[in-house]
Formats: sequence, structure tokens, C-alpha cells
Amino acid sequence: MSKSDMYYGKECIAMLLAGGRGSRLGSLTEAIAKPAVTFGGKYRIIDFPLTNCVRSGIDTVGVMTQYQPLLLHSYIGRGQDWDLDLLVGGVSILPPHSKPGSTAWYSGTANAVYQNVDFIDAYQPEYLLVLAADHVYKMDYSKMLDHHKQIGADCTIAVIEVPMKDASRFGILNTDPHDRVVEFEEKPEVPKNNLASMGVYIFNWNVLRKYLAQDDADPNSENDFGGDILPNMLADGCGMFAYRFDGYWKDVGTEESLWQANMDLLDDMHLGFENWQILSKSGGQPPHYIAPTGSIQNTLITEGCEIYGTVEHSVLSAGVVVEEGAVVKNSVIMGNVRIRKNATVEYAILGENTVVATGQTVGTERSPNGGGPTLLVHGATAESKGG
Amino acid sequence: MYIGLSLSDPHPDFVSDGSTKRTLSAAQFAGRYRLVDFMLSNMVNSGINHIGMVLNSHYQSLIAHIGMGKEWDLARKSGGLTFFPPYLSDARQSVNNEIDGPLHRAVQAVAKISGEYVVLVDSSVVCNLDYRPAMDAHRLSGADVMAIYVKKQVQPDSRGYAVAYDIDEDGRITGISGASGAKDEVQNVSLGAYIMDKRVFLQLMGREKNCGMLRFSKEILAPQLWRLRVRGYEFRGYTAQISSVETFFRHNMEMLDTEKRNELFHYGGRRIFTSRRDSLPTKYGKRAHIENSIIADGCQIEGTVINSVICRNVRIRPGAVVENCVLKDRTVVERHAKLNWMIVDRGGYISESRNMLGSDTYPVYIEPERII
Repeated sequence: MSKSDMYYGKECIAMLLAGGRGSRLGSLTEAIAKPAVTFGGKYRIIDFPLTNCVRSGIDTVGVMTQYQPLLLHSYIGRGQDWDLDLLVGGVSILPPHSKPGSTAWYSGTANAVYQNVDFIDAYQPEYLLVLAADHVYKMDYSKMLDHHKQIGADCTIAVIEVPMKDASRFGILNTDPHDRVVEFEEKPEVPKNNLASMGVYIFNWNVLRKYLAQDDADPNSENDFGGDILPNMLADGCGMFAYRFDGYWKDVGTEESLWQANMDLLDDMHLGFENWQILSKSGGQPPHYIAPTGSIQNTLITEGCEIYGTVEHSVLSAGVVVEEGAVVKNSVIMGNVRIRKNATVEYAILGENTVVATGQTVGTERSPNGGGPTLLVHGATAESKGG
Repeated sequence: MYIGLSLSDPHPDFVSDGSTKRTLSAAQFAGRYRLVDFMLSNMVNSGINHIGMVLNSHYQSLIAHIGMGKEWDLARKSGGLTFFPPYLSDARQSVNNEIDGPLHRAVQAVAKISGEYVVLVDSSVVCNLDYRPAMDAHRLSGADVMAIYVKKQVQPDSRGYAVAYDIDEDGRITGISGASGAKDEVQNVSLGAYIMDKRVFLQLMGREKNCGMLRFSKEILAPQLWRLRVRGYEFRGYTAQISSVETFFRHNMEMLDTEKRNELFHYGGRRIFTSRRDSLPTKYGKRAHIENSIIADGCQIEGTVINSVICRNVRIRPGAVVENCVLKDRTVVERHAKLNWMIVDRGGYISESRNMLGSDTYPVYIEPERII
């Protein structure tokens, strides 16, 4: 492609940070990147920011990948499942690459964007939407962009109020009465505020571009948005504002929160936003089958499943087979898991392609002050791991 | 290079009754499929990606379903899918001077494009068929036409739509006739699929004005058996040929049989493609009770479902009982309503505490968007 072919003006384009491992998800992300982790039966986590972009009218999305990207790459494909297979714009997968004078991995979130300055410049955007790709939420970014323009900010950060006791788990914005950000604290031990950053940022591209270059030239920087770029912009007096969001938003970065967010779907499948259908790449399997011996209650289930046993209060992804006599309770079962005869699965997350052997027990009853759910990694066979 | 061409037959019983304003090949099957999905998937899975579809009437929902053929990888620069719909002027032409009906245009198009062989198929036969071994057999046999058939018993309700072959010891077809539908008689039943050299296709169809698969088999091919070498190729998997409300119901219900379902959907690793809508997963309520049913995505089931086929986005409220039914997309069954032996077409609404009862030999059909 000649450079002139790429020059198309877009007011706002999105950059998705999809390169992280998500190590708090433990072995679940040994083989796949966190944004590719299964969620809610039919989805992968990256479906949420991708759908939000498309539904917000943002049709140009760069997805920066680095850690275990194979599944993520094939899942996104040409973007056809999100109507992002476009002649102008659409989805572009952006892994780290070598160029004259440098061969570098993405060293941080800011560095990942900086290494793709040429990609962004080609679209000559006025605004850049930077998104973490590891949250479950439905959000109209165009409203946030309107807000950003209205107040004439350099940077707008979406925030959600979290309970004060949880605030130390998040990036917290300390603001003045006009929601202007005066301080950004990453996971403060003693939080002064409960406005948590949602990992959704809008920047004026010409401003951010300057700070990215500065940051790149600073050998002491960790090249991180939260740790470096935002503090530098604040120090220089840039106009940085919080944008309050009051819908459903969940960080699914831990086993417990991933389990909980799946269970939240049993209470409200729409996550509070009915007319915002999440787009995804489904496998196109036949509808699921419930056998005469099967029993299924209070559960989300999808195509290709076959239920001969008992399933209660769980979320099942495509192609799961629960054999006769097996019992599944309070669990998240990812794609193509097979739970053999008379096995029991309780309060567990089973990664894709897991097999639970006949009569085996996985997990234990959930206790109010007990630990997180039992986790079986992708492709594991629970032959020897008893409950 | 093979060219695929599909024909459809008029099915007066079904169009007036089971599939109002919808061509047969757009009828639903197994909860999320349309009959045409099987023909298109079989073609694509066999490496045939230059496909023409001759359309006759009521094809709006068929075209809406197929679109550009993206789901079958048929939206492509070379090859892909071409529709041949009738023109308004076709209908005005008298029988005698009808010159350019949709079939005629399709034959002209086949003549022009490169490809040595034509696979002529019925667009509404349900099966998971790999044409490749049949295509190889055709080339090696040196026959003019290879006709694919299945050995089975024809049910009385399919009589008039099923075609049977007489096949001699050498595998040559010596007779083509309407299947008898007699009890306990296994016949060589046509699957409405013919592989032939393009030259033979053009000879046979070159002057045809309008032609469904029944007419092709019985009136065009049959009289030529004395001079053409027409051979049979036996297919051994699951097949369903739908021609009436009863057969529609019976074959949908057959999908509750796991063996038949596996034969159709998991045969040789070949997938059946269909349009995907990204419906939500299906949600079962706390008092849902389900036995022996297949249920598509997007449903909310709070009541009882037994021996039924439930299509997408159906709502079954608490206390409702659905037994031996096919419920199509968006059906709502309100609290304490009871349905038995029914087909409810898309968007049907069954009010609270209604009782509706058909019978196993006569399922009652409720037309689309009907409020009961």
C-alpha cells in the first residue's frame, strides 16, 4: 500500500491495548491473552470494546497485541464479525514490529501507542480513543467524545464510582468540584476518592503525540499511561477531566471478578443496556440439546451444548457436554468442555477444552468468606485433581 | 471446475399452509437453519464456489437470509453466488413466446462461464453430503449423468414429491418414476442432485423455459435414459425432503434423535453454515423444566418444554407447557398456556392460559405474527 492510499481523515480512531497477559487470571491466560478469555457463554472479552466502538460510530480500531496473540488474531480476523472489514479504516491488528534502528517489544501502554504513531497519523484524527481491552461494559463513546469537545479538554478519562473500600484496587482520579482531574493515583493504599478510571481515555491527538514523543525520549520512564503520560500532562497543566459513567462496568481481571461478572449475567443479561447487542464471532453450531435425563435451571447456555446431567446457576459456552449423572453448579464453563458421567463441578471456572473425568469432583461449595472459584486451565484434564 | 446450479419446485400445499409467503428452501429446520443452508454448505464444503440459484416465487426471505453469501464464503471476486430471479415481464409472456425466464438466463450464464461440469441440485433437500466422491466417480465412470440417491422408504405424505430410480446391476439408472410411498418398500429415492458434463446439461436444458427439479427428473431426464448413460451414486447419511406441513413437522422432530442430529451436523467434520445473528445466549429460569428438546439461542425459558424444537428468541413464561411442538422465531407462550402438537410460525403470540391441541398425525399450524 502506498502511503497516499492510507490517508483518509477520521475524526476519532480507537487504539485497543490488547497485549497484556492479565497475570491475575493465573493459568487461564497461560496460552491466550486476557482479551481473548471467554465471557458470558458467547463472547470473548474483546467483544465489548470492539462492539462499543462500532456502536459509537468509531469504525477505525487498531488492536495492539503482544502476549500470546494467536487466538486473538484469528478471532478478530478481518473484523467481519463486528462490521469492521472496511476498505477505509476497519480493524487493524498491530503487533510490535522492527524498523530501522529499533527492534522492540511494547515496553508499556504508552510505548505501544507510540510505536504505532504512523498508523494513527495516516488517518489524521483529531481525537484518539485509548481503550483497555479487559473490561466488561456497554458504553457509547460518542457521548463521551461530545463531552470532551464541549468542555474543550486535552484529555478525558471515563470514571465510575466504586465502593470506597474497593478503591485501592483501581486507578483513582482525584478531582476538583468541576470534575477537573488534579491528581492520578494508581492503586493508592489510602484512596482519597472513589472515582475509578475505567481504562477509557480520549486525547487530543496533537497533544498526546507530543507527550508520547517526550516520554519515549525519557530513559527513566516506564512508558505507561497511568504512571507516566497522565502525571506529565497534569504537571504541565493540561486540561484533564473525568467523565462519569453510571452503567454496568466490571474489571474481569481476577478469577473471582471474572466468575462474578458471569454470574451477574444471570440477573441481567443486558447488563443494564438492552439495545446494545454485543457482536461476536460465534461458531455456528446447531442449537443446544437437553436430553430426557437433563435438568437445567437458572443458567445461560448456547449453541452446540448437550445436557444429559444437571446444570444449575451456571454459564455455559458453546459445545459443552454434560453427561448423565454429572452435576454443574455455580460455575463458568468455557467452550467445548466435557464433563463426564457422575462428575461434580461446583463454584469453578473451567477453561476451554477441559475434560472432567467420570465421577471426579472439581471445586467446593462457595462460602461467604472462602477463597475464589476453583480454576481448571484451558485444555486440562481433571483426571487426578480431586476436589 | 464445477458449477453449481439449484432449482426449486413449487409446493402448493406447503406454500399455502406451512410456509406462507416463503419459498420452501427458506423454511426453517432444526431451530436455526433454513433448508437452503444444507445445499449451500454441501456445495462449498465440496469445493464448488460458483453457484447459481434459480428463483421462482416468494424468494424475499430466502434472499434476506443468504445476502451476498458471506456466511458461506461466497461473497468473492471470482465465482460466488448469483441469483436468477424472474422478471416482471416473464409473467406477462404467454406460454408460447416465453423466451427468457430465470432458468433460461441461468442456462445462458452457465454456457458462458468456464467449468466442465454442472452440479444440478434441489435447493431444499436436507443432508450433509460431500459431492467430491460422487464427482470423482462421475469422471471415472465416463457416464453422462451421475444421479445421487438414497435407499429409503418413502412415507405416504411425501408421495407425489419423491422420485425413485430403477437401477440395474451395473449401477445404470434404467427408469425414473414417482416414488410409490408403499409401506415397507425401500426404494432408490432421488436426492434431487445430478452431476453432469456441461455439454450434457446444455443439451438437456438449452430449450427449457421453466423447470423445477421434479420436472427435470421426470420429464427431461427420464425420456433420455435410452440414449444417455445415467448412473446412480448412493448416499448413506441422514436425509430429509420436506414437502408438506406433516413432513416439515416430522423431520424437525427427527432432530431430537441425537444419532440423526450427529449424522447431519457432525458428518466427516463438514459444518453446516447459516446466517449468524449474535443472539444472546438462551436463559433458563429457576423453574424451567426441559426434556428432550433442541433450543436455539436468544430464548428465555421459564416454563416446561418437552419433545420440542424451539427456534431463536422464543419466550416461554412460567407455568406454560410446550409439548411436541415446533416454535419458530420470536414465538411467545404466555403463563399457563398449554401447547401440544403445534407448529407456531414466527412471531406467534399465545395468550395466557390458552390450550391448543393438534395431533401427532395432524400438527396444527399457526401462521406468522398471529395472536391467539
